[in-house]
Amino acid sequence: MNPVIRVNNLGKQFILGERERVAPTLREALKNSLKSKAQTLIRGNHSRRATVWALRDVSFEVRPGEVVGIVGGNGAGKSTLLRILARITRPTTGRADLYGQTGTLLGVGTGFHPDLTGRENIYLNGAILGMNRAEITRKFDEIVAFAEVEDFLDTPAKRYSSGMYLRLGFAIAAHLEPDILLLDEVLTIADAAFQQRCLQKVKAASREGTTVLFVSHNLDSVRALCDRAFQIQAGRLQAEGKPETVINNYLKGLPKAGGD
Amino acid sequence: MSTSVEEANAVISEPHGSARALTSRSARMLPDEPVIKIRPASFWAGVDFAEIWEHREVLYFLMWRDLKVRYKQTILGAGWVVLQPVLMTAVFAIFLGRLIKVPSDGVPYPLFAYSGLLLWTFLSNAVLSSCYSLVTNAQIITRIYFSRLLIPTSTVGVRVVDLLIAAALLLGLMFYYRVPLSPSLLLLSWLVIQITTLALAVGFLGAALNVRYRDVGTLAPILLQVWMFASPIAYSSSIVPARLQWLYSLNPLVGIIDGFRAALFHLPLPWQSMAVSAAVTFPLLIFAVHLFRKLESTFADDI
Repeated sequence: MNPVIRVNNLGKQFILGERERVAPTLREALKNSLKSKAQTLIRGNHSRRATVWALRDVSFEVRPGEVVGIVGGNGAGKSTLLRILARITRPTTGRADLYGQTGTLLGVGTGFHPDLTGRENIYLNGAILGMNRAEITRKFDEIVAFAEVEDFLDTPAKRYSSGMYLRLGFAIAAHLEPDILLLDEVLTIADAAFQQRCLQKVKAASREGTTVLFVSHNLDSVRALCDRAFQIQAGRLQAEGKPETVINNYLKGLPKAGGD
Repeated sequence: MSTSVEEANAVISEPHGSARALTSRSARMLPDEPVIKIRPASFWAGVDFAEIWEHREVLYFLMWRDLKVRYKQTILGAGWVVLQPVLMTAVFAIFLGRLIKVPSDGVPYPLFAYSGLLLWTFLSNAVLSSCYSLVTNAQIITRIYFSRLLIPTSTVGVRVVDLLIAAALLLGLMFYYRVPLSPSLLLLSWLVIQITTLALAVGFLGAALNVRYRDVGTLAPILLQVWMFASPIAYSSSIVPARLQWLYSLNPLVGIIDGFRAALFHLPLPWQSMAVSAAVTFPLLIFAVHLFRKLESTFADDI
């Protein structure tokens, strides 16, 4: 079986202090560009800026239907990896080929508008996530039932509790049916019961052939859900294999015993 | 470390017919070619029209959202769309039409001013809301991928709807002043397409630059003011000296507005400035899209 995700030497370099370098004002941008031109003239074309590789030489393959958990400390590069695969940011080096459509859930309720009703937000968010109108209409009742917001469909989202907001956001994304689902640490704020239902939903999707990449600090859900796990540390793929082994390896590397 | 690759190779070497435990998982056929290729940003960032077409419903829903929200939050709703050019027309008609008596090519001044302000209000609102569009939609940009061109395009689209609503009043004014209604509809629609192209071009530039340099958003209203007075909105371009006409018509808005009025009021068509306008507008769009696509690769990092 061919892989559905093929990643080769993927790297992402950030320039430290980039904000100061490019963003603040046009005047400074002009000043800086003159300054760097002058520096190039004086020192030759080797201006060295402090940079950091958020991700470096990462290569892996994922087979269709696999559920892969990605673990690692804060700032290890997990989210950067997911953001590159979701095409939100470009890699600096390397390549990734995806043999299917992706569904991305890097935050719940992306594009929800507080003044629109639940019903309207389902359509808006569904479209932004990549569903077409007919698809949303077809899955509408299922989404509403999953989110348990039947009584609030015509209430503006700004009056929703944060739990309802989250449930509705996840419910829409859960009904995407993409070939590849990219999930970033979205469930940690949900209550235990809803988390359970979400995990079951992800499992069911994988049984139907959806490939899942799942970033989480919740090691229990990685154990429960994943066929395989990656450990990313300082931008590199540190370990890969059975979730139990990788998690143990990850825990061993922590300076002190204790969860994340 | 590389178990997956070995396993994958092992799987590839198996005959395809062999039933595996994973059959239900492999029910979906995988394409031979990657659907999505992720590469480092390159200099030539072309436009993927197929992808934009695929995401056309996002464009529709972004427009739908903006229109819907506007009618929910305001009492006047569509009234505001008409009120803005109407108030400006009233002010211009009193001060420039009555007191200063600015020449208006023989057309009643209020009608003359409204026809220009209709297009100007569209362009100015479209450009301004495009400028801010990426920054206002930062949450979407940092979490979901779709062609970012759709975001400023949707804000311009909303303003096209406004333009059509405000055009209804122009029709009313023409009745009121008994200007015969036999304008060339074809030419008018063409000029609306051309001004929309101009709004998209300037809007794309403003939006992309505003992500990096927020100065652009502050500067835009000032530049628009300058642009308005450099265009025949409140006055007729016939007051510009003949030897400066060529320079004046380099402003692509000149040909569009003069052409629009000529088509409405049966004046001789200003072919020259219309041709210059088209020759500036369409290449400008290509340049704007190119620059936008180039800057797009770092939007999520810069925003």
